[in-house]
Amino acid sequence: MIRLIAALFVLPVALATTLAAPLPASAQSQEIVIGLAYPMSGPNAQAGIDDKPVFEIAAEIANGTLDLPFPFYQRLKGMPGLKGAKVRLIISDHQTKPELGQAEAERLITQEKVHALVCCWASSVTATASQVAERYGIPFVNAESSSPGLTARGFKWLFRTSPHDEHFTQVMFDFFRDFQKRRGVKIRTLGLTYEDTLFGSDSARVQRELARKYGYEVVVDLAYRQRTTSLQAEVQRLKAANPDVWMPTSYQQDAMLFVRTTRDLDYNPRMIMAQDSGHISSDFVKEVGREAEGTMTRSPFADDLLDKRPIAKAVNDLYAKRAGKNIYDLPARAFTGIMTLLDAINRAGTTDPEAIRKALVATNIPGDQLIMTWDHIRFDATGQNIGVRAIIQQLQGGKYYTVYPFEIATRDVIYPIPAWKDRK
Amino acid sequence: MAAAGPLRPFLARAVPLLLLGAVAAFPLVFTKPFPRHLMIMIFLYGALATAWNILAGYCGQISLGHAVFFGIGAYTSTLLIREAALSPWLGMLAGAAIAVVGSQLIGYPVFRLRGHYFAIATIAVGEIIQALVINWDWAGGARGLFVPIKRPDSFVNFQFHESKAVYYFIALGLLLLALGVTRWIEGSRRGYFFRAIREDQEAAASLGVHVAREKHWAIAVSAALTALGGTFYAQYVFFIDPESVFPLSLSILICLVAVLGGVGTLWGPLVGAAVLVPLSEGTRVWLGGGGKALDLLIYGALIVLIAVFQPGGLVGLAGRFRRT
Repeated sequence: MIRLIAALFVLPVALATTLAAPLPASAQSQEIVIGLAYPMSGPNAQAGIDDKPVFEIAAEIANGTLDLPFPFYQRLKGMPGLKGAKVRLIISDHQTKPELGQAEAERLITQEKVHALVCCWASSVTATASQVAERYGIPFVNAESSSPGLTARGFKWLFRTSPHDEHFTQVMFDFFRDFQKRRGVKIRTLGLTYEDTLFGSDSARVQRELARKYGYEVVVDLAYRQRTTSLQAEVQRLKAANPDVWMPTSYQQDAMLFVRTTRDLDYNPRMIMAQDSGHISSDFVKEVGREAEGTMTRSPFADDLLDKRPIAKAVNDLYAKRAGKNIYDLPARAFTGIMTLLDAINRAGTTDPEAIRKALVATNIPGDQLIMTWDHIRFDATGQNIGVRAIIQQLQGGKYYTVYPFEIATRDVIYPIPAWKDRK
Repeated sequence: MAAAGPLRPFLARAVPLLLLGAVAAFPLVFTKPFPRHLMIMIFLYGALATAWNILAGYCGQISLGHAVFFGIGAYTSTLLIREAALSPWLGMLAGAAIAVVGSQLIGYPVFRLRGHYFAIATIAVGEIIQALVINWDWAGGARGLFVPIKRPDSFVNFQFHESKAVYYFIALGLLLLALGVTRWIEGSRRGYFFRAIREDQEAAASLGVHVAREKHWAIAVSAALTALGGTFYAQYVFFIDPESVFPLSLSILICLVAVLGGVGTLWGPLVGAAVLVPLSEGTRVWLGGGGKALDLLIYGALIVLIAVFQPGGLVGLAGRFRRT
């Protein structure tokens, strides 16, 4: 028995010894090493797999092997600020577990000697990994996590290019304000339905706060069990209260069930303002896109503008070739995040962490150089990008079109949504 | 084979001491954070599985809801820091106390069930508690809680940012505590009651074992030790949310570690952790970046192999060694 335990002790020690040694670095004198901790396996692996191509595209642009003919990207070609230093990416896996995110950040910083981190997709993992970067003083760019609290911790080394949940919901209320002015309609009452895990309860919390702030009355406030088999009671409640806007927060399966239940019970909302996710998933559009005519959703990425915006088109052409599908919200945000970091490193002209941090603070990338429909990238004192802007899309004839902000809209808003009995 | 007659008792005494010495010297040799992290995780999961083993291995009540106690430990100490600025060490004790109370409340209904139904009920309890915490706004709800960072490092605050060595020894302490408690129970009257219940509840009752009371004892001890691990986790990672400290996957992992190592034995859970943790971390670091989930595939295949060829757990290997 004791010998067995002694023998088994050798395993971790042997492993620790080998894992402690960094992977062989190339002989290159000047090298920019960027650590990317993403979910490459486990329940969210698809996110990491979908993001990988944009990181490679970004590295190739910086290494001068890929040409993107727009001024911002031309300036980064071959990283002239560092006299042609090569960018090396180290992609690692955290399986969406906070403690693994922490361990990976430590390993990447102390053993792989990364100069900066782009990390981590999931908010809970970003929460722990960014603490490590803060402790070691390594620039940390977050491109995708949406929990507002991340940038409220007074961190010096954390920079978030992504919008967070409050921005996402803010756009709905901006839309209500502008839409009422534009069309001369009155919106006063809101009905909230939301699934009962993190996503739904958080979304409803922000919606409630903003409704109070802007003077709307919440007449239905209803959490339901995720993946439930019946939403009849919920739809009955909505029908009885008949709010001016119905604001659902649902994953795909529930969103589809909602559409069918509203039809079965003949509930005719005048306006539906959904919170992304289920209502915008490709299966939702494919299965019930026609029935859900007129459904609006906040959306982080205007895919119907891909062809109209040259930069987005150019990046998407590169992406589609590698990923076998069009770029969408999350990879687009990841690309924006890593390019922001590369720009800062190039301007810093060195891999010294403090110099990169200062360059990040001074970041100012104009909106017309981004694939996102944002105003610009500039960070406030908390490290949050203040140029972010979400958009509103509406289902029209089975496809989502951008309807807000009005100046980039491809379609007019359909309002009110035609009643079930008036549809063919 | 080797180690003839008089040498054997000497070895039996010397090897554990040498081993303990090696474990104590480990952080001096390995100064990088990652190897230390690896060992800390072995100690933590070893301690959790050892605690689980008291209820499941010795008393025969297979719980798949132990994440509840882990989460109670993590949340209690973190909330006490945030609301009352209480040292996590006291929070740790408070967490253990609440876990004991909680375990008694949970035990009252679920101990009426047996075998598979007991296991299913513990899954349900775990899911219910997780759902409650997700919707409990005061405790951070689904967003989770940050442990307020305090500088500089101090023992009172249970925060060590400069070096992992202190965490290493605290985790080792937790493991030794869990092993010590198990060893003590094993040799005590209560330990025999537990095993009697595991083997045949009716027979045990007919011999005068107070079955319900003994089960409550087992879950109380097991829950308290698990909660200590929860507080340690919160102070190690500095961020907790229901998804990371209350998940069913954690309950199952604790069970897996113990079962793989050997249920109902003193060393089994630790052996399981010493094999499983490096295996999962090793495959992840080497193969995880590719995005092909190759790491999990290999990890899973190795678990299957062990389960097929060593169904009694890895400690069973000791018997084989001895016979050859």
